[in-house]
Amino acid sequence: MSDYLRSYLTVGIFGLVGVALVGVFLGLGRILRPDHPNLAKNEAYESGVEPTGDMWSQANIRYYVFALLFVMFDVEAVFIFPWAARLEAYEVFGLIEMAIFIFILLLGLIYAWRKGVLKWV
Amino acid sequence: MLAQLDATPVETPEIVWAGLLPLLILSAGALLLVMLRSVVKRLPADVEPHLITAIGPITVLGMWFAAGLAGTDVPLAGLRDDMGEPAFYIGLALVMVLAGTLVRTMEIGLDAAITVGLGLSAFAATWGIWDDRWQVTGPFNAIGDQFAVDGFALLFAGVLAASVVLVALLLDGYLRRESLDGPEMYVLMLLSAAGGIVMTGANDLIVIFLGIETLSIAVYVMAAMHNRRTESQEAGLKYFVLGAFASAFLLYGIAFTYGATGSTNLVDIQIFLSSGQLVDNGLLMAAFGLLLVGFGFKIAAAPFHAWTPDVYQGAPTPVVAFMASAVKAAGFAALLRVFMLGFFSHVDDWRPAIGALAVLTLIVGSVMAIVQSDVKRMLAYSSISHAGFILVGVHAASLAGINSVAFYAVAYTFLVIGSFGVLTVVSGVGDRATSLDDLNGMAKRRPVLAFMFTVFLLAQAGVPLTAGFVAKFEVINAAVDSEFYWLAIVAMLTAVVSAFLYLRIVLSMYLGTADGDAADLGDPIPKAAGLAIGIAFAVTVGFGILPGPLSDLASDALPALIGAG
Amino acid sequence: MTSLLASETAAVSFPVLTAMVLTPFLGALLLLVLPNNRPEYFKQVAFLVSALTAAMTAWVMVEFDKAHAATFQFVDQYEWIETLGISWALGLDGISLWLVVLTGALFPIVILAIDAEHSPKPYYAWILVLEAGCMGVFLALDLFAFFVFFEIVLVPMYFLIGQWGHGERAYAATKFFIYTMMGSALMLVGIISTAVITANTTGNDLTFGLIELAESQALGQTAARWIFLSFALAFAVKVPIFPLHTWLPDAHTNAPTAGSVILAGVMLKLGTYGFLRFGIYLFPEAAVYFAPFLVALGTIGILYGAIAATMQRDLKRLVAYSSVAHLGFIVIGTFALNTEGIEGGLLQMVNHGVSTGALFLLVGMIYERRHTREISKLGGLQKPAPMLAGVFMVVMLSSIGLPGLNGFVGEFLTLIGAFAAHRWWAVVAASGVIIAALYLLWAYQRVFHGPAEGDNATMPDLTVREGLTMVPFLVAIVFMGVYPKPVLERMEPAVDALVAHVETHVEDFDEPVADIAHHVELEDLADLGTDTHGEEDGEHG
Repeated sequence: MSDYLRSYLTVGIFGLVGVALVGVFLGLGRILRPDHPNLAKNEAYESGVEPTGDMWSQANIRYYVFALLFVMFDVEAVFIFPWAARLEAYEVFGLIEMAIFIFILLLGLIYAWRKGVLKWV
Repeated sequence: MLAQLDATPVETPEIVWAGLLPLLILSAGALLLVMLRSVVKRLPADVEPHLITAIGPITVLGMWFAAGLAGTDVPLAGLRDDMGEPAFYIGLALVMVLAGTLVRTMEIGLDAAITVGLGLSAFAATWGIWDDRWQVTGPFNAIGDQFAVDGFALLFAGVLAASVVLVALLLDGYLRRESLDGPEMYVLMLLSAAGGIVMTGANDLIVIFLGIETLSIAVYVMAAMHNRRTESQEAGLKYFVLGAFASAFLLYGIAFTYGATGSTNLVDIQIFLSSGQLVDNGLLMAAFGLLLVGFGFKIAAAPFHAWTPDVYQGAPTPVVAFMASAVKAAGFAALLRVFMLGFFSHVDDWRPAIGALAVLTLIVGSVMAIVQSDVKRMLAYSSISHAGFILVGVHAASLAGINSVAFYAVAYTFLVIGSFGVLTVVSGVGDRATSLDDLNGMAKRRPVLAFMFTVFLLAQAGVPLTAGFVAKFEVINAAVDSEFYWLAIVAMLTAVVSAFLYLRIVLSMYLGTADGDAADLGDPIPKAAGLAIGIAFAVTVGFGILPGPLSDLASDALPALIGAG
Repeated sequence: MTSLLASETAAVSFPVLTAMVLTPFLGALLLLVLPNNRPEYFKQVAFLVSALTAAMTAWVMVEFDKAHAATFQFVDQYEWIETLGISWALGLDGISLWLVVLTGALFPIVILAIDAEHSPKPYYAWILVLEAGCMGVFLALDLFAFFVFFEIVLVPMYFLIGQWGHGERAYAATKFFIYTMMGSALMLVGIISTAVITANTTGNDLTFGLIELAESQALGQTAARWIFLSFALAFAVKVPIFPLHTWLPDAHTNAPTAGSVILAGVMLKLGTYGFLRFGIYLFPEAAVYFAPFLVALGTIGILYGAIAATMQRDLKRLVAYSSVAHLGFIVIGTFALNTEGIEGGLLQMVNHGVSTGALFLLVGMIYERRHTREISKLGGLQKPAPMLAGVFMVVMLSSIGLPGLNGFVGEFLTLIGAFAAHRWWAVVAASGVIIAALYLLWAYQRVFHGPAEGDNATMPDLTVREGLTMVPFLVAIVFMGVYPKPVLERMEPAVDALVAHVETHVEDFDEPVADIAHHVELEDLADLGTDTHGEEDGEHG
């Protein structure tokens, strides 16, 4: 077996162990816990908002803005993680690049904040 | 294994900061503008006018610095030359005072003033690079082998900077009239122009794509910016959907190019293609087609023009001026760069496609324009037919062709900003009065504006003593030089057909009589918009009568590919 | 190129030709900046500017060196667009001299004779721009410059018809513009092709200079023929040659009087002049090849114009159609391709400018008084307005070609030339002279004879100012009819050189010599110039 495939073997074993572990814990819980089902307990969100209703229900427009801002910073994280892993190789250049990147994103946040987007009226 | 990877240092590209100065000024300026304006929302009433006045002198200094910084590798060497002479300081002071007075008399807003200052500084930086660096050392790469600085890129960067300045002047009065004040429009325009500059110099298809996206996304938002006009919303959405579609095509084309040639770098592509190692010609042809579709959308070439009339009609008029000038110029710069530099060895393969595109664009642009009754739509179609004309220059695939494209792009930028500038002023609140009937009797109400509009229209028709004529002349010259007589003939005949459209507009201005409720009651023209229209007029007529300097400039402005090593 | 021009031209320190083009143009700009509150100044300023131009043309006419009429004189040359080999080159030779003089003389008269009906400022400004453009066309020695002027004259004329015209003015103006532009669009391709192909064949730098292009004759036969066609189309529309004439009656009928006078007097000559200066000179072989075709079209134009004129009910339209016929004569003279024909054509250009210009002025005067041009509504005008009738009579007879008046000399020469070259076409064309007499005399009879009724009876006669403006026309008509020698002897060397140029560059082409000329002593008739075959320069320019 080549080195190349052997590294995938590591991945495979790792995956199998993970699946097995989850199976073991879930099975253990099923065996151990008491089981008294009722209607309220079967709701998808036991103590949340009623999740069913009219298709055309309107969501508050503000959710979208928050969602957008969330996505923005979520994506930012996607870029930052690999960068963080290789920071040493990039040296100062990388640091400045990321500073500029975050600065631009931050600018967006400041703009949104000053526009009053973050205020829940 | 992972540890081994960590040890390899990442190669950072060599960067010539001075070569990036126009780009940096526009993009960093945009960011600073949005930051300042979101932190300091409203200035005290007694400070603001003085601050605005101060922007004039600051701009002069900025231009001086930008030109000096751009010129040489030694920081500020260009400035030190000037500093030796006392006469310089007197001159500088005088110009600064003049600039301040000009800004004050223009009654311009703070955001517009800053934008104009940034645009002028970027223009000065372009000038500095052109004069002191490119003319001296020849073309060079600014970021690794990804971004080239050559005459062609510089000329188009200058065009973009100039259109930023003129459109900002138009926007000032417009936004105030429409109660849309705020820095957003200016910021987006600056960012968009920065994207355009990236496109003009990009040496890599991916970088071109980045530029196109930066340019486009900002313009999508600008088109939809007029939030009380549904047409504007519609225009923004339509432009966005179709533009995203076109971007996908472009990306697909880039992928195919990579598949066929093994690189997205224009230098590598060119080396690969001219060495004759190409295995799969079909893949490359598909790449040509897809790239052309992508670029075709941006430059509004038929049959990818369908968005143009709706978007031009719906979007705020100054934004249309920007779309028709800057976006189109950047699109042509990138198109020419990719095809003339990257794919030049396969010119016989892509030329027929461009030829077909050109003919179709010319015919659609000129014929469809005739049946329109809205002036913005008419000018939208006319911009399509101008794209066809420029494509004729691209099709020539020669030095003369490149020169003609450069000349046309410069001339057309001023023409179209002038035309839409006039429309901006006369169309009244909410851009309502843009139908042909609304222009009736305009010559009586606003004789000077009507005359200037007439000159812009005649220039678009290609009447001599305007820059539009010389531009057409150069394109036809290029086509004939490459012995494509039929294309030259088609181009000229469609030019006559479009002349009919321009005459219709002129007729309604001079012969029509206004109804009682004509929207344009002759509100005073915003001074800044007047200045922009005046500059466009002066350039149109000036380069029409004495085209020599611009022609020299355009023939100097050649694109170049420089390898990494 | 400069050596070619400069060696044979006396050094002129003052660029008079450039001044002749720029003065009216700057005059128009001056008008634009004049304040609006004194409208009476506009006309005076416009008149002064055009009179200044006329003075310069007069000076040029006097200083013109008739011994070297075949070479370009007073040449001005400056670089214009260096990268494309385009220069601002102006020059004058025997062919263009009289057309320039005609232009210079006609504009001040038009400005003086006719008041703007409304908005005088742009009106006079446009007329001055028009003058600059016309001057430029006749003087240009660079194809680019020529095209610029050729196209730019459309704009002022478009506005003159559109803004100050009558009736269907919008339609007429647009039709005029589009028609002429359609013609010249292809000429632009032709011009560029000529320059580019010449540059590529000879290996020289790209140039648009007329003389270099014409002398190098580097085009292949097929290319030259196609390009000639593109030029011919542009000129044929402008002349206009049947069947491309349909814009002319509309334009004339709806144009203001000044527009009609200038259109007939000067602008129609842009086409016929273009044929001589550019068509034949640049493409001699193609010109010889297409000559029979153009002569045929010219002849058809003569007959068609004459017959159509006979049937008109509108006096102005009648004169417009008579123009079509007259220009037919010029075309057949030009494409006879011999000295008599071309000379006759040239002379006829000037004659037509004078007599038809005057006719349009007179029709305009009648219209001003009666507010109609319907021939049937006019009648007996001779009684209330004897002066007007008398002047009209003389001008009309000149237009018919009565011996002793200018029209005769031109038509006669034209027909001699055409007879030598294309005998039967000339015979047919000659019948056009007869029909011309028919329609003009008939129109005269209906308008001026008979009993004067209603408004006709009380029509005022010419005012002093109007009478004075007609004097130059009458003087020119009689003078050129009785003593055309000064005119002919200045154009003849240039015409000879042009014919020689064609002979040199076209194998198996010899000037169709008019045998008849040896039998009829021209001098006996009207002293048509002493030396029909003067110094043969062989070189044109």
